[in-house]
Amino acid sequence: MKVLYPEHIPAFFTALASRFELRLPVMLSDGTRTIGSLEDGPIALMGGAVPGKPTAAFFPQQGPVFTAVEGAVLPSSDQANRLFVAGFTGRDIDCLRFIDRFFADGWRDDIYFRQRAGAVIAGVSGYCGPGGALLPLIGGGCDLEFVCDGKCWLVLTYSQAGEGIAAELPDTDAEEVLHQIRIESLTAANEGDELIQRASQLLRANRVPDSFWSEIGDRCISCTGCNLACPTCTCFGVQDWRYANNIERSRMWDSCQLDGFMREASGHNPLGSEALRTRRRIHHKLAADPERWGEISCFLCGRCDVVCPTGIGILAVAMEMVDRFEQETIR
Amino acid sequence: MTMFPLSVHNSTQSLYVPLDCEIVAVSDLTPNEKLFRLRLPEGGALGHSPGQFVQVSLLGWGEAPISVSSSPTRDGYFELGVRRAGSVTSAMHQLVVGDTIGIRGPYGRPFALDKLRGRDLLLISGGCGLAPMRSLIQYCEDRTEEFGRLTILYGAKSVEDTLFKDDLTAWEASSRFACSRTVDRITGGGSCYSGNVGLITALIPPLEIDCTITVAVIVGPPVMYRFVIEELKKKGLTSAQIVVSLERHMRCGVGKCGHCTIEHLYCCQDGPVFWLNEVEHLRGAL
Amino acid sequence: MKRTLTVCPYCGTGCSFYLVSDGGRLVGVEPSTTHPVSRGGLCVKGWNAFAFVHHSDRLTTPLIRRNGTLTPASWDEAIGLVVDRLRSIQQRHGYDSVMFSSSAKATNEENYLLMKLARAVFATNNIDHCARLCHSSTVFGLAETFGSGAMTNSISCFDQTDLILVIGSNTTEQHPLIGTRILNAAQRGAKLIVADNRRIRLARHADLHLRHKNGSDVALINGMMHVIITEGLMDRLFIEQRTENYAALAANVADWTPERAAALTGLEADEIVAAARMFAAAGRAMIVYSMGITQHSHGVDNVRCCAALSLLTGNLGRPGTGVNPLRGQNNVQGGCDMGALPDVYSGYQKVADPLQRQKFARAWGVSTLPERAGLPLTHAMDAAASGLLRGMFIMGENPLLSDPDQAHARHALENLELLVVQDIFLSETAAMADVVLPAACYAEKEGTFTNTERRIQRVRKALDPPGEALADWEIICALAERAGYGGMRYSGPSQVMDEIASLTPIYGGIAYDRLDRHGLQWPCPGKSHSGTPILHMESFTRGLGRFSPASYRPPAEAVDDEYPFVLTTGRTYFHWHTGTMTRRTHLLDREERTAFVEIHPDDAGRLDVRDRDELLVASRRGEIRVAARLTAMVVPGVVFIPFHFAEGAANALTNNVLDPESAIPEFKVCAVRIRRVV
Repeated sequence: MKVLYPEHIPAFFTALASRFELRLPVMLSDGTRTIGSLEDGPIALMGGAVPGKPTAAFFPQQGPVFTAVEGAVLPSSDQANRLFVAGFTGRDIDCLRFIDRFFADGWRDDIYFRQRAGAVIAGVSGYCGPGGALLPLIGGGCDLEFVCDGKCWLVLTYSQAGEGIAAELPDTDAEEVLHQIRIESLTAANEGDELIQRASQLLRANRVPDSFWSEIGDRCISCTGCNLACPTCTCFGVQDWRYANNIERSRMWDSCQLDGFMREASGHNPLGSEALRTRRRIHHKLAADPERWGEISCFLCGRCDVVCPTGIGILAVAMEMVDRFEQETIR
Repeated sequence: MTMFPLSVHNSTQSLYVPLDCEIVAVSDLTPNEKLFRLRLPEGGALGHSPGQFVQVSLLGWGEAPISVSSSPTRDGYFELGVRRAGSVTSAMHQLVVGDTIGIRGPYGRPFALDKLRGRDLLLISGGCGLAPMRSLIQYCEDRTEEFGRLTILYGAKSVEDTLFKDDLTAWEASSRFACSRTVDRITGGGSCYSGNVGLITALIPPLEIDCTITVAVIVGPPVMYRFVIEELKKKGLTSAQIVVSLERHMRCGVGKCGHCTIEHLYCCQDGPVFWLNEVEHLRGAL
Repeated sequence: MKRTLTVCPYCGTGCSFYLVSDGGRLVGVEPSTTHPVSRGGLCVKGWNAFAFVHHSDRLTTPLIRRNGTLTPASWDEAIGLVVDRLRSIQQRHGYDSVMFSSSAKATNEENYLLMKLARAVFATNNIDHCARLCHSSTVFGLAETFGSGAMTNSISCFDQTDLILVIGSNTTEQHPLIGTRILNAAQRGAKLIVADNRRIRLARHADLHLRHKNGSDVALINGMMHVIITEGLMDRLFIEQRTENYAALAANVADWTPERAAALTGLEADEIVAAARMFAAAGRAMIVYSMGITQHSHGVDNVRCCAALSLLTGNLGRPGTGVNPLRGQNNVQGGCDMGALPDVYSGYQKVADPLQRQKFARAWGVSTLPERAGLPLTHAMDAAASGLLRGMFIMGENPLLSDPDQAHARHALENLELLVVQDIFLSETAAMADVVLPAACYAEKEGTFTNTERRIQRVRKALDPPGEALADWEIICALAERAGYGGMRYSGPSQVMDEIASLTPIYGGIAYDRLDRHGLQWPCPGKSHSGTPILHMESFTRGLGRFSPASYRPPAEAVDDEYPFVLTTGRTYFHWHTGTMTRRTHLLDREERTAFVEIHPDDAGRLDVRDRDELLVASRRGEIRVAARLTAMVVPGVVFIPFHFAEGAANALTNNVLDPESAIPEFKVCAVRIRRVV
């Protein structure tokens, strides 16, 4: 097993930056954490999930589809250097796996895979959550994993790329600590998972009335933050930019919380009310995706609950749903 | 127009890069709808089936999903009936013969011809729903031996809003089709019209339908489905015998952008053509 | 990838985010998670605030009108032409024949510099900005009653209050992140009274929704104060210790029985009584208001009433209380603070005061400064129309769409000998100009904005401006230089702020190195002062809080048989003002593409109007075509039109009648007629 000591972190990642386009958790000037580059601020592996979605590395808020210059269409170029993206929690890795599958299914989304293909993914786990809280061990689905044992970072590798990156690091024997973290990870109570399952069942059994969605919708200001922060939200809009010498087509994160999302030129709108849009936001993750993909597509990363200014993120709504409609049946 | 002479040299580069097509004919269908006849490079076949759509791409304006209005049985070209609605379709209406547009596709699930063969078909369309339906009607016309009785019902808002008037006249005259049409109301320009006036649902009760061998296909504006389906069910047809094609604003056409979902279905991939029993229970489908 | 911490360019809430850029191109925003106002969230405009910056319509070179057409020119020629022609007009018609219109979208430094340019270089006090159109009545009314025209409390106070009275503010749409604080307060059990006849989102959460008639606010609040006094619910100790002129107020509201107020407001007397009791019973009550209070021909009276209600109940100078006007533009507070007003220098120091004039003259190195107050913007339009004003320099405003009575504004601007517009896009106003100067947008320059809670925050440069565009401050300095004035040479905005701090007591402690994280709230008189979240804690800025009684005056234009509908105007959630930025933002444009009028289904039924029908809406000033939007948001008899859309300009209809004291126009009430376009 390899180990990365805190004092070696800057040098380790700086060395990687020569081989990779590096994206990792950093602390910005006002204390906000993000997945950025070394120039953005000091490395900040501690602190748990970063507020922005880590999948933005492959699917940015706005990015090129193609450029048309003088009669020729040039698709978006491949990433010059392979990406190395660190900072995924176990739940983020689940999200990544889900959208990898989504973008690959049927028509393969080449724009996504131009960034994603060959990218090295590094997870973080162990005692590096907010205030030193435990982030469960990931155990795979990424190339390597940095496990915080409270003092330093144990490095677990799951691929050749991961092994290559960790090769130069010193060895350590920390099986006991790792075992302890593994046990704690398994036994860490996960009320969230159960809650979201129960909410999903309620929705799939059609036991949540429309009045509930109006009520939640009344508290939504359509900021779209929930969608924009969600690692498994993949909806996008397309915009053409007309410049004097070229035309650019780009795509940007879109949101099902906007009235115009599904509105057709005729004015017909299948998502034409706040209640329907609020329902869609939750229903899509907890009922539609299980139907289509065989799994709930909310992996409880918690970002929408954090970003929502009125407290109606998916966990909060699931909780309210379960509180009100499971009991209703019991009564 | 100077905006569009850009051409695509290699559409295999990206899923999202369109392929250039030349406009070989344009005609007015109504004051708001035009029919574009398009030719792929070297006259290649689009490879579509009736019911599919393409993403029309106008550089600088964007993309819009447009149903193919012609049958693949007609070689060397394909046709798109385009209503002027948003910015892309408005820009497209400015184009003339010789201009090029980009297309991606064909996309979507077509009419299940294998399930329609040997059946009596009730082809019901309203408004610009005739544009995709025409592809199927032409197919039936060209492969008439494959089908049983063919009945066309079409309803438009007014005489002026009636699409494909020449085709309708020909189908009315054809012995192969029973074709009835109606308009919702008579307005200024329709004074010499002597046909039916009223909703399309009124055309259904008089029909003689053999429920054992009939399939009904409906394409029209959202308000039409519920009422037409009701009439068909009164006639004894079941949801397994009714086909609908649903309108959604597909932005990508390939199941990624998320704008056309109906619960767990992606209209651009799983549709736009559905058997009624696949979608009637889904929220917001009809 | 680069991340640049900055402040949102839209409303006065002052949310903070990082602009994400990649190779000189903005690709997104990331909210600041530590910011005390936005706390990791943003509204839809904030999330999309990067998206207009690279629009191909951006101005990239100076333009000079030649043979009727705006044609590209060099900076040297454009700057020279502007200075020469302004000077020439002044030589022929006097210093006060030119007007400078500053911008609530520009930074504090730029507002200060334009103010300095007008006064020190062009020797006129004719400088104003769009605060005239939004909160001039606040500045006047609160200065009179409290001594300071700003929001008394902080945004964090919404988390500590027991009751919020929202009057004339559609907060969740116009100050969305403040709106969410109100939603959250209601959720945790604070009382919410919404006084607004539109059924805004907050009304769905309100304990009381008072749908009073447009322009009847004085009657409503006088009625409430009558109840409070009659029932002895006022805060006697506070009145005694902290206020003056109570007797006059009590006398004024003595005959404002709920029944009398009910008759004028269209409410039930019981509703007024309930509102009064609820407000008075709250331990900590906040009043939140915005354009619904200010944009009336009796706007100052409305403000006086809000101030009096808070004084009467002792709701000032404590957390969770206060009179809280929500400032509209990102930097309209700063525009006022910087003295982009005809009668004051920065920090509200009066030009009429010889000592102040002397202080500024000395600092600016000029022998004298003009002493007579200049023209308010709204009067300037009249002066231009009548030929008294010959030249106008407009920085970052679009009066052709934002001023009342568009035909009048157009005539006024056309009548000018010289119109110079400095902007980021060729706005409708810029398209009329003789000279257009291309400016950098917020993402392309350094500076500070002051939000509605008086928080001075850093704006940082994420990328270079397009083409030859320059930051407003650079252009202003170049104009000064060309005019032969040597007192405007700065290494950058930071040095400008140092000058502001040295001359402006309320900004005395402000310096860039102190603003790095989340800024400071003024008054901040010294370098060791940590800012002032709540005003009037120990005493009012003016000493005692003053009760200013107000008598009811109806709106200037009443409905009649010919014009039977009340038109009220405002904004939508997705667009900002005249739409120069938001209508060039793909997702925002998609949400609201065209002009519309909200009309009650009952009214629509009577007019045989269906949703999306095209309607002709006409007032005595003009007519426009807009799409019908049938909604119970509005009450029968009242219609609402947002003013964003040039092709259906609400301000073609509005009434250019001004409040006599603040010169704010009555945007909120005029009479119109409506018919369906066949």
